[in-house]
Amino acid sequence: MAQGAIGAPAGLAAGRAPVLDSRWILRIALLGAAALGYAVILTPIVFVCWLSFFANEIVTFPPQGYTLRWFAHIFDQNNFVSGFITSLQVGIAAMIGGLALGVPASLVLARRKFPGREALNTLLLLPLVVPGIVAGTAIYVFQIEIEIATEWPLLGSLTGLVLAHIMITIPWTVRLLSASLSGFDRSIEEAAQNLGATPPQAFLKVTLPVIKPGVVAAALFGFIISFGNLEMTLFLVAPGQTTLPIAILQYLQWRIDPTIAAVSLLQIVLIGAGMLVTDRYVKLTRVL
Amino acid sequence: MAAVAPYSARAFAGGAPGWTAAAALAPASVVVTIGIVLPVVILFRYSLNQYTPAKMMVDAFTIENYAKFLTDPFYLAVLFRTIRVAALCTAICVVLAFPMAYCLARTRSRFKNLLLMAVILPLFVGNAVRAAGWMVLFGNRGFVNSILMGVGATREPLQIMYTEFAVVVGIIAVNLPFVVLTLQAVLEGIDRAIEEAALGLGAGPWRTFRHVVLPLAMPGVIAGTILSFILAMNAYATPVLLGGPTFQMMGPTVYNQFAGLSNWPFGAAMSFVLMTATLLLIVTSNWLAQARYRR
Repeated sequence: MAQGAIGAPAGLAAGRAPVLDSRWILRIALLGAAALGYAVILTPIVFVCWLSFFANEIVTFPPQGYTLRWFAHIFDQNNFVSGFITSLQVGIAAMIGGLALGVPASLVLARRKFPGREALNTLLLLPLVVPGIVAGTAIYVFQIEIEIATEWPLLGSLTGLVLAHIMITIPWTVRLLSASLSGFDRSIEEAAQNLGATPPQAFLKVTLPVIKPGVVAAALFGFIISFGNLEMTLFLVAPGQTTLPIAILQYLQWRIDPTIAAVSLLQIVLIGAGMLVTDRYVKLTRVL
Repeated sequence: MAAVAPYSARAFAGGAPGWTAAAALAPASVVVTIGIVLPVVILFRYSLNQYTPAKMMVDAFTIENYAKFLTDPFYLAVLFRTIRVAALCTAICVVLAFPMAYCLARTRSRFKNLLLMAVILPLFVGNAVRAAGWMVLFGNRGFVNSILMGVGATREPLQIMYTEFAVVVGIIAVNLPFVVLTLQAVLEGIDRAIEEAALGLGAGPWRTFRHVVLPLAMPGVIAGTILSFILAMNAYATPVLLGGPTFQMMGPTVYNQFAGLSNWPFGAAMSFVLMTATLLLIVTSNWLAQARYRR
């Protein structure tokens, strides 16, 4: 790999023309390889966005023209509208649940040393390592068992979806808060108490402002993760109670047209906006 | 510190875990235990039950579901196809991700944040949406076939959809951002001065990469490989949409056992075969890599 391939001090190689040449070739090869990677990541997204403006309903190239009417057409498709509403409800409820359970737990985990701390931390992050398909099947079977035992129609209900989604918002809350607490110096809390603050006052006036960005990020992130979940949710939806990603998947199994592309574009815009806001509070690259 | 100890020991913020700490930790721990650990344990128990078409599931303690999977050529073929695709996608992902991660870690461009966002955003867009993008490219009247037929390279459209190629490309696009971010985090931590020292002492760029950068980046390479492999083994939306009924992988097959055939014991056994195979392969390759690395 070329030394300091980007923004390298070119002066180092000055006067040694052959070396300079090979470095330039390597540098261009490196940038070319990186560009190829970006192309692989971004190509499908670009094509979905492009398709959403096609005038012709059947996918052909080149398009016969461009139109915005598919975006209006979305609202005639009941499953997308209701899917969006379900996803929104589940996402918000799972986010609140994840915060209510995850914030107190991670505050204790991040700032105290006690036996079993590592084990508890692992337990709370565990849902992230259970593959979506396995988690989905396990929760599906479990909810049916509860339904049989209590006659409480859990599977396919909003409650059932929210309970399952809390499993994925808790670990992200713990992860994000641990990241934002890692630089927290506890002596400032002690200083506040030395200066006469009661422990609750010290918490509210000193600790809370410090963790606020982490909490905001965990809220948005939990929502995004829940909103986009597909593999686990697949098992837990019922006809008429479907989330948006699953409505998209089911439609795509049947056909692809500009309407579904328009739905996808709206989802991309929504999630992109959420991410940009989240990034202002906690650098996403620090927690992924 | 010693002077404030008597105060802070009782305080909300510090000291030994008291009732407050227990009360803060208990709800999340209980919910995760009941919500996911218990269901997975129950699922494992079900994988030892018996399936009869009339009664669906009969309580038993048998390994026949595992035996059925491991002796049925159809299911074994699905498993090995999944492993092959996952290994191929992971290898290509790591090779593609390294230059991207290196550029991201070393760039001083003011667009660095934008470049990072371009990697992160697709992570949240959803696998189905990204598969839709490939469908636009790969369909019989899609972008690729239109170009090929337009320039006269082929008269009949090429069958790209529902092939291994389509699934591999789709999974690579899904996994690549994860690997890039894993590698980038590690590469950011490698001091540029170390590379410069190697170059200054006369090592060429290739030797510097091979003997300095790569060994230091090895933890990131291993973490990225494991992550990508797990994701590919469990892929669902990409094989369903780009592989269709003709190119089956484990994820959709497990789903069908539950949703289509209602064979819980066998579906549960398949879930655990999939998880065990994934873990075994990771542990073995890790062990092999380390054995080679030590030499």
